Amino acid sequence: MTGGYDERCAADLAGVGEGRDLSRTDRAWLARVVTGAVRPNRDKPLWDVAHALAALARAAQARDGRDLVTLALDPGLASPAALEARFAGRADADARGPRLGEAWRTSWTGLARLLALAEFVLTAEDLAQFATLAGWLDELAASPDPEGAAFLAKRLSRHLTAYRTAHLPLASMERRFRALLSFLGGRRAFGDADILAFWQAEMRAGERPGFRTVAEHFVTFEAGAQLARGLDGLSAPASLDAHDGWEERLDAAMADLAAAEPAEAVAGLLADWPDSPKILTGAERADLVDFLRLEPFHRTRPLTTLRAASFGRVQSGIANRLRRGGGGPDIAERAACSEAESYTLLRERTQALAAHLDRMLRIAAALRLTERAGLSPETRAVLEAAEADLRRVRRAGFDDRDGLALGFAAVEAALLRVAEETGRLARALDGLARQQPLETAFVADRVVFADAFKAAYAGEAAA
Amino acid sequence: MSEEARLLAELHAARALMRAPGAAALADRSAQPRHAALWAHATREPGRPVDLAVVRAIRADPDAARRYRTMLGAQALAHAPRAAAASDGRLLQRRVGPFALEILGGEAGAPPLLVLRVEQGPMPRTIEVWLGDEAVRLDLGPPIGDAILLALDPAVPEADALGRMLRDPACAVFLL
Repeated sequence: MTGGYDERCAADLAGVGEGRDLSRTDRAWLARVVTGAVRPNRDKPLWDVAHALAALARAAQARDGRDLVTLALDPGLASPAALEARFAGRADADARGPRLGEAWRTSWTGLARLLALAEFVLTAEDLAQFATLAGWLDELAASPDPEGAAFLAKRLSRHLTAYRTAHLPLASMERRFRALLSFLGGRRAFGDADILAFWQAEMRAGERPGFRTVAEHFVTFEAGAQLARGLDGLSAPASLDAHDGWEERLDAAMADLAAAEPAEAVAGLLADWPDSPKILTGAERADLVDFLRLEPFHRTRPLTTLRAASFGRVQSGIANRLRRGGGGPDIAERAACSEAESYTLLRERTQALAAHLDRMLRIAAALRLTERAGLSPETRAVLEAAEADLRRVRRAGFDDRDGLALGFAAVEAALLRVAEETGRLARALDGLARQQPLETAFVADRVVFADAFKAAYAGEAAA
Repeated sequence: MSEEARLLAELHAARALMRAPGAAALADRSAQPRHAALWAHATREPGRPVDLAVVRAIRADPDAARRYRTMLGAQALAHAPRAAAASDGRLLQRRVGPFALEILGGEAGAPPLLVLRVEQGPMPRTIEVWLGDEAVRLDLGPPIGDAILLALDPAVPEADALGRMLRDPACAVFLL
């Protein structure tokens, strides 16, 4: 659970997201509500969902909880437009969205999201609490008023709190971030050296987190630092009036933070990459996942990216061996980092991957543009060169042109993104190499990492 | 600072969830009926056309069957996974929550009769029973006083099957 969630939670969210065909933004909102990353009050969405269900119970004249469950699960009501078409102009809704009493209202877009949340709480833990929730909705349907909604809201927030305790190891992550904040001592800016030093400190403290894991915490810290500073100002009540619309702004900022996860999209794209045609081999995909997992650090912190790829791999090898209780080189040998890949080697592999991906992109263009009469001579020349390249490629699936064209068409967008990000990493590494010889940096780092590994895993190495 | 650490932890978890590949988990699930389809099946009127893909999934996939039964149980006035008392013979009486079910008669050319009684409270409108992967759903009709009577007519395949399944202690009963 180092990622901060368990499989159950991921599957619960995925089920709702897929079933309703949620946009990335709405998925990010739902994920934030589930983890509690909503401010100033993490229970606000549950307050809203309870009121939305009460308003719908009135608008749809729900007889019992069953009718409300039907509304909450119906994928035909997943979009704001569908909700507006069904409920606009009813007694408890106007043109802009549903209302409950004088005090509560939302938009059709808001309602669509809230129904996704309703489906999540109903179906969470693979329906383990479905009957309980359906019973609560029965009670709401019997009295769909602000009091009934407030009562349901309280139940739902207790419910989600219990869910978080069971499925999200937030406490341990909070500890890690507290340590990180105290390490930085109020600073917001940090460098590659800080990431390494903090990891060393955590290793000495006996926590033994992966270097990659620590780097991932810094990714979140960097993204959230701006936001957290905004929160500091907001915690003083006097300043609230000064921040007109701050709640919306805060929400927008957090939404960006959770949704702007292009690297994860890349990791996901690579995980789902079709096996044929073999545009990327398994090893190439594994390398790309390793290089791009710390988005946006592969563009902005190439040194940390190299450390994570080289020594992060060594450390996960150690962790895997400890978990399995054997296999491969022993702990002492691994801890010495003699197997660590040098930064020069990693840079060469990145360059090779970038070149390979560029070639694949040109081949994709050649396969797509079969009608070339109207093209400029330069473009035609590029495409013909790609054709020649294509004939030289010896990979599975590359000999069947029709199948190949289909295969490339299926991954075109993914290929473009992966190629772009790999190119950015290659350029960032070029810049780093201009500042300092990569070999020197690697040799110095190897001493640091080997020392940290030897000290931290001394017990197991001696065993 | 603790509030900041908490928010960062929550954001970190949200970001992690956004990047959870989930593809493998979803590949398993994509073949399964969605929650909405299972729910529509669980709340259907007896005798109405059914979604055959859902019926097949419930029969073939234990996970889908479990979800479906959870949904049935959630809206049931009462349900029982099996007869409370072990019995070696064929059951003629059993309790499901506050309801007493009894199968009467069947002699002299008259079909057996299912009698459902309750001391007080709402009466179910529908009965669904499960035995193994076989299921029957029937409309119970309006109550007469504190009882509902349903003829288990051998000439009506579903009513006949209902009577046969109810006599088996392993039969699960949902009163909706």
